[in-house]
Amino acid sequence: MNIYFFWVLIAFLFLGQLILLLALSLRKLLINKKEQTISQQYDMLSESFSSYMMDPTDNGFIEEISLASDQTIVLERLLNHYVAVSKGSVNSPQVAQLTEKYLTERYKKQLQRNNWAIRMNTLYFIEDFHMKSLTPLLKEKLHKSLRLDRETQQLIRTLTSLNEPMTLSVLARYVDAPFRLYIDVLKRLELNIQLEELDAALKNEQNNKVLKYAAVSYIGMTGLLEFLPRIEEELLSDDEELRIQALKCIQHLQYISSPSLLTPFFHSTSWQERMFATRIVGKLQLSRYQEVLSELLGDSVWWVRYSSAEALTQFADGDILLSHLSENHPDRFARDMATQWEASLLGSEE
Amino acid sequence: MHSFFLLLSTFIIAYLLFSSLSYLGLFAIAFRKVKNENNLVHRESTEVLLKNQNTYPVSILVPAYNEEVGVVSTVRSLLALDYPQKEIIVIDDGSKDMTSEQMIKEFKMAHIPFAFRTHIPTAEIIAIYQSSIFPYVRLIKKANGGKADALNAGINLSSFPYFCAIDGDSILENDGLIKTMKPIIESDGQVIVTGGSVRIANGSTISRSKVEVIDLPRHPVVIMQIVEYFRAFLIGRLALSRLNILLIVSGAFGVFNKERVIQAGGYNKNTVGEDMELVVRLHRLLREEKSKQRIEYVPDPVCWTEAPESLDVLKSQRIRWQRGLFETLWTHRKMMFNPKYGAVGMFSMPYFLFIELLGAVFEFLGYFIIFGGFFFSLVDPNIALVMFIVTILYGSFISALAVLLEELTLHKYPKVSHLMRLYFWALTEAFWYRPLMVIWRIQGIFAAFRKKAHWGDMKRKGIST
Repeated sequence: MNIYFFWVLIAFLFLGQLILLLALSLRKLLINKKEQTISQQYDMLSESFSSYMMDPTDNGFIEEISLASDQTIVLERLLNHYVAVSKGSVNSPQVAQLTEKYLTERYKKQLQRNNWAIRMNTLYFIEDFHMKSLTPLLKEKLHKSLRLDRETQQLIRTLTSLNEPMTLSVLARYVDAPFRLYIDVLKRLELNIQLEELDAALKNEQNNKVLKYAAVSYIGMTGLLEFLPRIEEELLSDDEELRIQALKCIQHLQYISSPSLLTPFFHSTSWQERMFATRIVGKLQLSRYQEVLSELLGDSVWWVRYSSAEALTQFADGDILLSHLSENHPDRFARDMATQWEASLLGSEE
Repeated sequence: MHSFFLLLSTFIIAYLLFSSLSYLGLFAIAFRKVKNENNLVHRESTEVLLKNQNTYPVSILVPAYNEEVGVVSTVRSLLALDYPQKEIIVIDDGSKDMTSEQMIKEFKMAHIPFAFRTHIPTAEIIAIYQSSIFPYVRLIKKANGGKADALNAGINLSSFPYFCAIDGDSILENDGLIKTMKPIIESDGQVIVTGGSVRIANGSTISRSKVEVIDLPRHPVVIMQIVEYFRAFLIGRLALSRLNILLIVSGAFGVFNKERVIQAGGYNKNTVGEDMELVVRLHRLLREEKSKQRIEYVPDPVCWTEAPESLDVLKSQRIRWQRGLFETLWTHRKMMFNPKYGAVGMFSMPYFLFIELLGAVFEFLGYFIIFGGFFFSLVDPNIALVMFIVTILYGSFISALAVLLEELTLHKYPKVSHLMRLYFWALTEAFWYRPLMVIWRIQGIFAAFRKKAHWGDMKRKGIST
């Protein structure tokens, strides 16, 4: 290797970078220009788009968009904004008509692209615009996918939002399917199908524990009180995780038919069960358990002490109780916790 | 004597070339992911998580020492974060200015008794305050013990299973926390640490924790730091993260699984590189337990920070960083080339030792040979010339390439002139910025032998309006 090699190397690298810089500058210039054009068209078409969405007989927008040079991008942005801000846009015939006419072919091509992000964005848009005509293509894609990667997960979400409950059974094929994905799927189902699926999940017909946990969690999240008796039954389950999910669910539902169902949990060996039981007592203001809360204020686990004190603050006489406990509880940590929550009550009154 | 210098210069040329190539190799690993992730623009990628009750709550810890200028705007930016459940804990580590007073006044804070757990011993806690406007905003006033000690105090006081450590002079974007928590949530807790990209805010306009206009500062010293951040974040961290051997999560912003951190013993008070040291210790813990949990880096720029504009401040910052690196590698020397620690011991630790730490020493020798060759005929001037060229290649071209790659992937700077200016300054690196860095980094190695933990003092102007 002599000196000339290095000179050639540096000249080559320098020139290479110079060309790259010029190419990127030119690219930036063109991108900026294109973005400016798109923004102008977006601004120009916004008004006629709004009129069309409110009154489809006013079809000035259809004429204008047909002439726009960047029609698909502008339309995508207009529709994206529309579905983000307007309720009931899922069933809008105008959205269906516009997407069918201008975006279906584009999305079919985009779903085959090599670029992962483009495929993902397309899946998001198909979900947002509720493009049912693409269902067969998406099903085919799901059928071909071998791994539950991020794209397959989004594919499942998108397909579910197009009312395809078969995604739940697809998901069951993956033993490592995450809990949150089941919740995402349940959330996207139409109400009547959702209720059927929740019912089936609680019966555990498919012997799918994760689905059952997700169903219980989802019932709590959405406050589906009609499932309360079934949830209360799960409190007697042998499965600890299921009992915890059921307690969490009851905490969110803020209702329990028989408070005595909570009694065994105050002395459970699982601190999570003790914690959720105290939280429920607070939320539901079950004064018969005030003494248990005082006792659990001295629990060995910080979270149980914390939740017990927090629960006491929910009662009308919580300040008096906490004040008493902050001085008289036999456990030092319990006294500290009571003092802290007593102070927080004072703060909230100021 | 001549042959000694010839051998030395050949070694240094080989080292610098190898080092440049290793950067390129790391970039090759990272490029595709940055490009793909950046094109993912859809709001829904984080929107679902915001509405989900199973999104983990997070305690945000803000260690502050003499941060009276920036602390209020930082807390305001944290209040504006889109996140379902959070608490904000500012830890005033014995500031000599009005940091606490500003917080107490601005957020109408009242002194409260607080039953916190001492998971990790810390310097004395003087008082705990809680905001009467936002009950989840708290302030710990404690005796001075250093940044690590302040963070440990914050961990003790925090209620939630994950904590986010953020510098008092940083501004987090509204969706920054949810973006950073996303890998943790999506992995069902298998990811135990995430670090987001940190960007330099000098020159840009930030208002109400939103970057209104991205622009370049005038000061070349700051522009060079921007280029440096591109290189560090775009090339280094993402590649190491993909291999699950990332040893650094920026001290300015990172999210941690609290239980794991407590298990590891919290932040180490005896080093100035507490952020890196903790990540290495967590890796060590994971490897010793043969755990499959991971540490990940999020390439999206989520956090904005103020870079030093004066050479004096920059110097002390770099000396501190280098010293922290040295101390971490020394503390965990057992892991170096130890197959028990997998790729962390066999690749990552040696990489940080030979490229990041000792690189400065090799470069210094390179400069010595160049000058020696030209002025004292220590080596053949041709060799000195080769050395000179390779040094430029090593520094400037890699930096310039980082600028071009930023443009190809994230392209956050909107104007063509930004690209030109960044590129121009990147090319000048070898002539002024890099020699300064080399000297400071060597000083940093020496500083490691004179132990004294302290905060990185910097006169703040504040970055948010």
